[in-house]
Amino acid sequence: MNPQPPRRIVRLIEQLAPRAFQEDILGDLDEMFAADLKRGNGYARRRYTLNGLGFLFKSFFWTQKRQPQYTMMIGSYFKMARRSLMAYKTTTSINILGLVIGIATALVIFTVTRFEKSFDKFHTQAANTYRLVRVSGSDMSEFRTGISLPVPPAIKAEVPELVEVTSMEYFGGANVEILNASGTTVDRYREEAGFTFVQANFFNVFDYRGTDLKWISGTASLLDKPNTMVLTKTMAQKYFGDNNPVGQVIKLQRKWDFTVAGVIEDFPSNTDFPFTVLLSYATLPQLNGEQRMNDWVSVSDSHHTYITVAPGTSTADVEKKIAKTHAAHTWKELSDSRHYLLQKLSDVHFNAKFGTYTRRTISKETLMGLTAVAIFLLLTASINYINLSTAQSSLRAKEIGLRKVMGSIRGQVMVQYLVETFIVVMMAAFVALGICQLLIFYLQGLLNMPSSTISLPAMDTILVVLSIVVIITLFAGFYPSLVLSRLNPVATLKSKFATDRVGGFSFRKVLVVAQFTLTQIMVVGTFIIVMQMRYFGNTDMGFDKDNVIAARIPVRDPVVLKGMEDKLRSQAFVNDVSFSYTLPGGVRRNGHYADIGRSGASSMHDFQVYEYVSIDENFLSLYNIKLLAGRNLVIADTARNILINETLLKSLAFASPTEVIGQQLKMGDQTSVTVVGVVSDYYSNSMKEAPGNIAMVMQPENYSIVSIKIGTPPSKIALQNAITVVDKIWSETFPEFMFSYVFLDENIAAYYVQEDRYAKLFQLFSIVLLTIGSLGLYGLITFVVNRKGKEVAIRKVLGASITNILTLFTREYLLLIVLSFALAVPVSFYFVNDWLSNFTNHVSLNWYYFVIPGIIVLGVALLVILGKSMRAATLNPVDKLRYD
Amino acid sequence: MARFYLGELEELVLLIVAMLREEAYGVTVVAELQKQAGREISISAVHAVLHRLEEKGFVESRMGGSSPERGGRRKRLFRMTAYGQQVIEQLRDTRNAIWDIIGNPSAS
Repeated sequence: MNPQPPRRIVRLIEQLAPRAFQEDILGDLDEMFAADLKRGNGYARRRYTLNGLGFLFKSFFWTQKRQPQYTMMIGSYFKMARRSLMAYKTTTSINILGLVIGIATALVIFTVTRFEKSFDKFHTQAANTYRLVRVSGSDMSEFRTGISLPVPPAIKAEVPELVEVTSMEYFGGANVEILNASGTTVDRYREEAGFTFVQANFFNVFDYRGTDLKWISGTASLLDKPNTMVLTKTMAQKYFGDNNPVGQVIKLQRKWDFTVAGVIEDFPSNTDFPFTVLLSYATLPQLNGEQRMNDWVSVSDSHHTYITVAPGTSTADVEKKIAKTHAAHTWKELSDSRHYLLQKLSDVHFNAKFGTYTRRTISKETLMGLTAVAIFLLLTASINYINLSTAQSSLRAKEIGLRKVMGSIRGQVMVQYLVETFIVVMMAAFVALGICQLLIFYLQGLLNMPSSTISLPAMDTILVVLSIVVIITLFAGFYPSLVLSRLNPVATLKSKFATDRVGGFSFRKVLVVAQFTLTQIMVVGTFIIVMQMRYFGNTDMGFDKDNVIAARIPVRDPVVLKGMEDKLRSQAFVNDVSFSYTLPGGVRRNGHYADIGRSGASSMHDFQVYEYVSIDENFLSLYNIKLLAGRNLVIADTARNILINETLLKSLAFASPTEVIGQQLKMGDQTSVTVVGVVSDYYSNSMKEAPGNIAMVMQPENYSIVSIKIGTPPSKIALQNAITVVDKIWSETFPEFMFSYVFLDENIAAYYVQEDRYAKLFQLFSIVLLTIGSLGLYGLITFVVNRKGKEVAIRKVLGASITNILTLFTREYLLLIVLSFALAVPVSFYFVNDWLSNFTNHVSLNWYYFVIPGIIVLGVALLVILGKSMRAATLNPVDKLRYD
Repeated sequence: MARFYLGELEELVLLIVAMLREEAYGVTVVAELQKQAGREISISAVHAVLHRLEEKGFVESRMGGSSPERGGRRKRLFRMTAYGQQVIEQLRDTRNAIWDIIGNPSAS
């Protein structure tokens, strides 16, 4: 074995030597050791030891480069940052305020988008779960979720790829009676939503893993038995208080008894299955009749079917097999018109075409739009920061110069500046976090978020906030720190004039333009959305919707109805009363559709789909629907005499209303009817769509709604009294049913809930953006005014008027804002046009829809600039000049 | 003329670095000091001088050229900078000028 150098010395040097020198020192020692070995091992070791220890007495061996200096500096960075932030209080507070507003609003948006994206993500089988949906109609334009009752069992039996097939029928509201042991009613409730028929395997498909949905008593398999029900915890408490609900009997709709078999925790808020009471699907044959269970034609749109497949199964294949099964059980006409598709579970919450039980979908585009707005907000707040900091750099130039003279390298100045930015952003983020919670609380309705989502998972939020802080710190802090650290120390310290030009003035202009372009895009967009909403609200729908209250009638007995009508009519405030199958417009309206054609119609293409409305003789007058030709329906009319609307007239290719009077038409089931009158069109759906084909008939056996027209003008109190009276008449007529009513105008306004929400949100965002922009402008102008104080004074001494001075300050910024307006118009035109094209009826884009919001923004900016510069312009110039 | 300070040993080491060209590092410098000037200087002292010269900007260093007798460790190879070159030339000129005066006593 070769002789080795003394280990102890080697290790000593390894431990003590500076990293950079360790290798070559040891290398040199080794090399000399190797040479010394010729003169004996002991000699070489001695020499090695002496030489090695020699290094310990050299000062270079002990000077560590940089590292200790750096650690020492961190405290200094924070101390310096605090001092300079305190020194420029106005700028600091404008910066923080802008960032707080921006971050808080952005956080709200992120919370909303995250909530929406979380819908039904938690099921183990989520990726393999699909909803069976239908596309129908000759032009494939009808998107339906309803599946005929015999379809699910048939496909389960015949398509082997399907692992689970689970169907549910959402029933919505119900009359609830709590029965005691002897079967008499002890309590009565009217529920508006949440009742649903489900199969036991619902919980195989939707296992709600990781959520609080757990069984409190009972198991899912209980739902296999007919006439059983499972209550959520809230409902169990509502109906039975602290008593044990299991085994109790509840009567629904006054007809059907269900035994409570289990209790389950409440469903989470981020699911599209808003169930509160689960009824066993096995009860359906009793309710519908066995015949309906085998009816391949009839469809209820609330009967949904979900399936799961094995991972990696081709959905196209499964769709083909389902179509084959359907075709095998039905005739060609029917199977040709119904196309079954599989909709991914992950698409259900985002696709408005098919909808959900909650009637609450949000499109991916909307989510992207919201995220874009959040980024806009953060951008504008950051731009404020950049602008104010670079503007300030001339004030801080001396500080930077001195730092550099005292030995700061550029990197250190940059770090110093980034630390300052970090502190500002961090403070802003903290405040914003609190405000965000408040905002979400106050905006619940607007955001369409259930209150239970307010307490967010803390870890998530903190991560989001931290990443926002880091990104903004880098984005907003990098450029100013670059500008500041670039300063030449000699120039800053020597000459006062050199400092006035630093700070990338033209870049600042670019940023101001960018900021105001974003703001203008938002403001213009908002303005047009608001105009469109006004248009929806104010345009005549073709019928009178004001002061009408409507209620669903539980009994169709003509005598009972007549009695009620007479009682109502005897009231002074009642103008008119009408019974009908459905309302002329509004959400959750009954709809009944059928085919109709000319008397010569033979093939499917000759027929038109139309809405079949059963009315009484008062319907037209109550709703003020105009009769264009012929006569109104009278009691003597049978179902064979009908009224049609203009659209149906045109669809059936008749030239004029008078021409069609007396004509025979053929219904889809081959019965023929006679047209006795034509009514003017009205919007039976929302104004987003065009009026549809409508025919009216007098069939008292189909009445299910009573409309009561209240005499105008009712005050709020008179209206309340009127409703009390109607309620009393109602309980006299239907003692066993609770009175539940809607105002027709409110019901119609509900069509536009979504759009209305966006309109309000966009108004909010516009104001926030404008506020941040104005804050930035205020900061900039304050700075300019302060810097130019002496110049203004001299100008005034030389005879400049106040107007001259104001022009001096405003001209430049006004130009920038006008430029940003020019940039914003085409962008917002593109988006607004796209949005408006969603609606059949929309406002036509006028030039002033762009100019008015532009002027608003300009006005606000002008106000900010003038307000500040006015002070400078009216100051006595002597005060300014005397001391300098 | 720029001011610089160069100690006697520093000057010697700087000259040796210049002489050794691409092969100047601790061990060779020690060996050449012995050979050319008969001076026994410890390796640590040489390192210190080289380090000082580098700080003053007369030489620059890079790592390279490992060998088995060094345990595979690389050498820190020194090279004279242009500035170093300028400095020793100036020193030589100054000395020559003075020697010229000394070496010709008859002229005085």
